[in-house]
Amino acid sequence: MEDDQKKETTVKKNKSEIQNETSTAEAEKLKQERDEYLDGWKRAKADLINYKKEETQRLEQFAKFSNEALVAEMLNVLDSFDLGLATLPESDPGRRGIEMIKAQCLEILKRYGLEVVQTAVGKMFDPAQEEAVGEVESAAPPGTVAEVVGRGYALHGRIVRPARVKISKQQSK
Amino acid sequence: MPKILGIDLGTTNSAMAVMEGGEPRVLENQEGNRTTPSVVAISKSNERLAGLLAKRQSVVNPKNTIFSMKRLIGRKFSDPEVARDKSWLPYEMKESASGGVEIKMGDRWYTPEEISAMVLQKLKADAEAKLGEKIEEAVITVPAYFDDSQRQATKNAGEIAGFKVKRILNEPTAAALAYGLNRQKSERIVVYDFGGGTFDISLLEVGDNTVEVKATGGDTHLGGDDFDKRITEYLAGEYKKQEGVDISKDALALQRLKEAVERAKHELSTAVETEINLPYITSDNAGPKHFLMKLSRAKLEELVQDLIDRSIKLIQETVTAPVPKGGGIKLSEIDEVVLVGGQTRMPAIQEAVKKLFGKEPHKGINPDEVVAVGAAVQAGVLQGDVKDILLLDVTPLTLSIETLGSVATPMIQKNTTVPTSKTQVFSTAADNQTSVEIHIGQGERPMMADNKTLARFILDGIPPSPRGIPQVEVVFDIDANGILTVSAKDKATGKAQSVKIEASTALSKDEIERLKREAAEHASEDEKKRVLIEARNQAEALVYAAEKAVKDAGDKLPEDIKKSVEEKIAGVKEVKEKDDSEIIKARVSELSAELQKIGETLYKQGNGPERADRPESDRHQ
Repeated sequence: MEDDQKKETTVKKNKSEIQNETSTAEAEKLKQERDEYLDGWKRAKADLINYKKEETQRLEQFAKFSNEALVAEMLNVLDSFDLGLATLPESDPGRRGIEMIKAQCLEILKRYGLEVVQTAVGKMFDPAQEEAVGEVESAAPPGTVAEVVGRGYALHGRIVRPARVKISKQQSK
Repeated sequence: MPKILGIDLGTTNSAMAVMEGGEPRVLENQEGNRTTPSVVAISKSNERLAGLLAKRQSVVNPKNTIFSMKRLIGRKFSDPEVARDKSWLPYEMKESASGGVEIKMGDRWYTPEEISAMVLQKLKADAEAKLGEKIEEAVITVPAYFDDSQRQATKNAGEIAGFKVKRILNEPTAAALAYGLNRQKSERIVVYDFGGGTFDISLLEVGDNTVEVKATGGDTHLGGDDFDKRITEYLAGEYKKQEGVDISKDALALQRLKEAVERAKHELSTAVETEINLPYITSDNAGPKHFLMKLSRAKLEELVQDLIDRSIKLIQETVTAPVPKGGGIKLSEIDEVVLVGGQTRMPAIQEAVKKLFGKEPHKGINPDEVVAVGAAVQAGVLQGDVKDILLLDVTPLTLSIETLGSVATPMIQKNTTVPTSKTQVFSTAADNQTSVEIHIGQGERPMMADNKTLARFILDGIPPSPRGIPQVEVVFDIDANGILTVSAKDKATGKAQSVKIEASTALSKDEIERLKREAAEHASEDEKKRVLIEARNQAEALVYAAEKAVKDAGDKLPEDIKKSVEEKIAGVKEVKEKDDSEIIKARVSELSAELQKIGETLYKQGNGPERADRPESDRHQ
């Protein structure tokens, strides 16, 4: 009798143990799933936040450079001023007026972020800012800027048009 | 997950794109441009340059500035193509030990693979800077006619640049992928690729998600640059006739003219005439000379007609010539035509292609970028982006709530990605209204009766108050399974009511299409109806306000004004239910003008605020 009873308890114990084990496994599985979903959710949240940040940056860039095409076209007008002025003698009474109109145009464009690329004869040629359009023989060290042919312009630090320069090369003997 | 870069390694320019959130995105390079010149150089100061910077010094450094590498890569030195290109390419080249080509740049000899790798390296670095992450893998495109050796060499170039090349993809296939044409069951596609310096025709056959190249053709020395050259020569010739000055001899003037020609060519894709205005182009003894000429689209087309005709003839040959030279099929058997390359923006080319095939070509994606976009799409398939992204559903139709005058007021617009939720506060339409009916509908029509009703419920127990005072907050919420829950809550009492609709997105495809079609068909008549209802609602609101104003003013209002306002009220009421929105609007504005008199009179009687505070209109009198 006693033995039988003992047996029963053992069996019972085993059953509840099995139950316990299944529920632990179940809990483990659910826990894993929870972590997975939580992770996925956090990632999705983070993705959105990051996307928003990038989008803001993109919009800022877009706003900054949305005028680029217009500004680039206006550079031709500035060139024409330069070319026109070059044909007028210093003494020409009309010269000052045209210079002022040019300055007016440039001033407006500067307000929208345009800068004139600083180039000078004698400095080393830098393709990041200048475009070489030809070579001239000179006594200056080869590879330096020998002549500035066209002004270069940048918009918010980005080159819209490089300065056009001629590069010095060794004089042939 | 690291991204795979899609690269269009072109003869003159290259472009790159990646998949981002399931969509291709073209990446800008460090200089801020969407295309990068395929040019490499060793500068005079012994610096290695790639892209735009290399191009900028090419004039003064022609021997050490290497371009058009695609024409040489993977070819034998004894190849007739190489011999032909050698005659005009300004840099030095020789036969390598293995019979290939070697190019001299600086004081060293390079293989075309190494040179191309430098372009790819720049793209890699710029993409990494742009995306802020390492990129190790790439899909690189090549022309369909490239043989195994050219493909292998291109792959090698990628590996030298530090990429693991996941796939070498045909350019026309990439273009077809960009337009999603690979998903069709079985189709024949012609890709017409008119680039800057090369012209390629490819005949593709799509079946079971595979794309097979059936035939290729074209001209490796025909491109948009030839168009520019024609126009420049013509204009310089005309100028010489007019002014007697040959500007083609003046480097600076020619440069200005070339740039103006490129602009004019682009402009003539949309305009029918453009003006080329170059003041102070040159000078002679008489003083400065200017260049001012008009160029019409018709003239442009006349100048390049033979080039277009040649390209059309090449298509015909490629498609109809017997196998293996061509595809051996009729032009009418072509299902789709895709345009690639900047020159295909020209309307005359689009027309010629359309006429040849009798169908509209695909041209929606920027033709300079479409190959890179397609490479990115392929990259997306390889990285599992395109297939495996968490598929989020969208609502196929707009979900609305009915408001005054049976108008369907949208709460969640169609194509909104779910899960999503929208909240809006509504009010009552009549005085002492104690309940509101929430009528939920689905569809694109502005009147609720024309849309599909999903559910209705009533929220009651709203404390009696004048119209517009109660605040009923309505929330539309769709969970990830497409189940829509609509709840309404009276903000004053907190009383709430809600309904759950299981099948809000589960309309059949046919039903969705029908509702969309109907919306499009009825668009104009619906608009009229909407305007009418708006006018009616406005009339009603004003009548309500006018009656209240008359009542509030009581005895203070002179009898004549009271009478005229009441007349106008009657006038509005009379037409309010008629179907003519114009007359309703007219009567409403009459009443509104009359109504102002009440205010004026009351102010004059001293019941208004101090004089200084009087409205603007008063002070001017």
